Amino acid sequence: MRWNLIRTKVLAALAVCLVVGVGGILVLMHFSFARNSQALGTESVGGAQKLFTILEARETSKMVAVSETLLMNPDVRAAFAAKDRSRLLDLTAPLYSKLKSEGITNLMFHTPEPDMVVFLRLHNPEKFGDQLNRFMDKEVVRTHAMVEGNELAKAGFAVRILQPFYDSKNEVIGYVEFGEEIGQFIHTMKSQTGDDYGLLLSKKFVDRKFWAESSAMWKRRDNWDDNASFVVADKTTPNDAIIQFQGDLSVVPAQGEVLEYFRNGDSVLVRGIFPIHDAAGNNVGAMFVVRDISAFYLSMRHTQNVLVLLIVLSLAIGIVFVLTLLDRLVFRRLNHIIVVATRVVGGDYETEIRVSSDDEVGQFEQLFEQFRRVFVDLLSHLPEFQEKPELQEK
Amino acid sequence: MSQLYDLRLLIESTIKANGLDPMDVKGKIGLRSGRMLAFITPTTEDDPAAVAKLKQAVKDVLNISA
Repeated sequence: MRWNLIRTKVLAALAVCLVVGVGGILVLMHFSFARNSQALGTESVGGAQKLFTILEARETSKMVAVSETLLMNPDVRAAFAAKDRSRLLDLTAPLYSKLKSEGITNLMFHTPEPDMVVFLRLHNPEKFGDQLNRFMDKEVVRTHAMVEGNELAKAGFAVRILQPFYDSKNEVIGYVEFGEEIGQFIHTMKSQTGDDYGLLLSKKFVDRKFWAESSAMWKRRDNWDDNASFVVADKTTPNDAIIQFQGDLSVVPAQGEVLEYFRNGDSVLVRGIFPIHDAAGNNVGAMFVVRDISAFYLSMRHTQNVLVLLIVLSLAIGIVFVLTLLDRLVFRRLNHIIVVATRVVGGDYETEIRVSSDDEVGQFEQLFEQFRRVFVDLLSHLPEFQEKPELQEK
Repeated sequence: MSQLYDLRLLIESTIKANGLDPMDVKGKIGLRSGRMLAFITPTTEDDPAAVAKLKQAVKDVLNISA
């Protein structure tokens, strides 16, 4: 390759354009992917948070409705007022059985203050008389009105409602509590969105002994030591590797955040997290969201490949077109001038330069043809040519 | 005869022997050496610089050493 040729320089310039064009598209697609992934991740986290709130509200409404119905049952009220645990169990066990199949895992009756101990646990009838002393207990005693929210207790992290139970004289005879494990929500959420979720609880709010006991009760592996600052209460995937979080749950922003994008085998996934508050407003945990964005990624890669192919093809066609044009308009005509000029020096005074156009090269052709004629005329007037015509080439 | 004219004869015989285009070859040699071969006659006086240039041009164009 001769670098002094215009053809080579033009070819090199076009090749640089090709590389810059393809590089530009790749960079553009990379940033576009990052921006869209960020938007997709934010949407995943925001969507999951909304879905969680909707599920929370729906289950709370369900528990409120059941609670109101229970409060109006005279038999239940009488049994509770009479502190007849056995009768109360008989009356409410069929209801609890039905509610359990609907996801409500906790149904408890509490005695009134000042003791406020558990009078009956439908989910564990043998255990009673203990004082829970939770935030929600204190709130319902303080307000004598229904309290709702998430509360971490021995039975787990659940969305609960706690409502005062009034007798016929309108005096508080105790409290009834319904609760639904938040861990169940993530399975519902997975079935609706296809995303994977993990419920993380901050170790600051969980007692080590309680966690070991509850793990044994729910027949799950004690995973306390898996992570430094939190425990995974529940998750929708058996793969622990996708739940990676090294930060502090208490500083997760209220609107949630996208953590990172990562690959797992052939899949491209985005990780996000949003906080979960208890009834007292503490950041007790967080919901981890993992969305598979492989389809989007593959679609983006496909678009990228098509764009790169299109650019390469267009530039290749452009290169051929430009070089052909240059060849026809410039190089071939310059070469003709060179050939004629060479032949004139070689003794051919007849061949003329064709002026094929009035463009820039055409003007040069015309000038050179005029020059050739002057040169030939000059030669014909030289004494050597006039005196010795045999010197003239044929 | 002069050296220059000998070179001209050598060029012409080579062109003839190889069936080359005489105008093209003589033109190229003329342009390279700065001398029109048509002006080299048996009486042309030798100039060492001109001879050297013509020899080099012959070598470049015809690839033969004169």
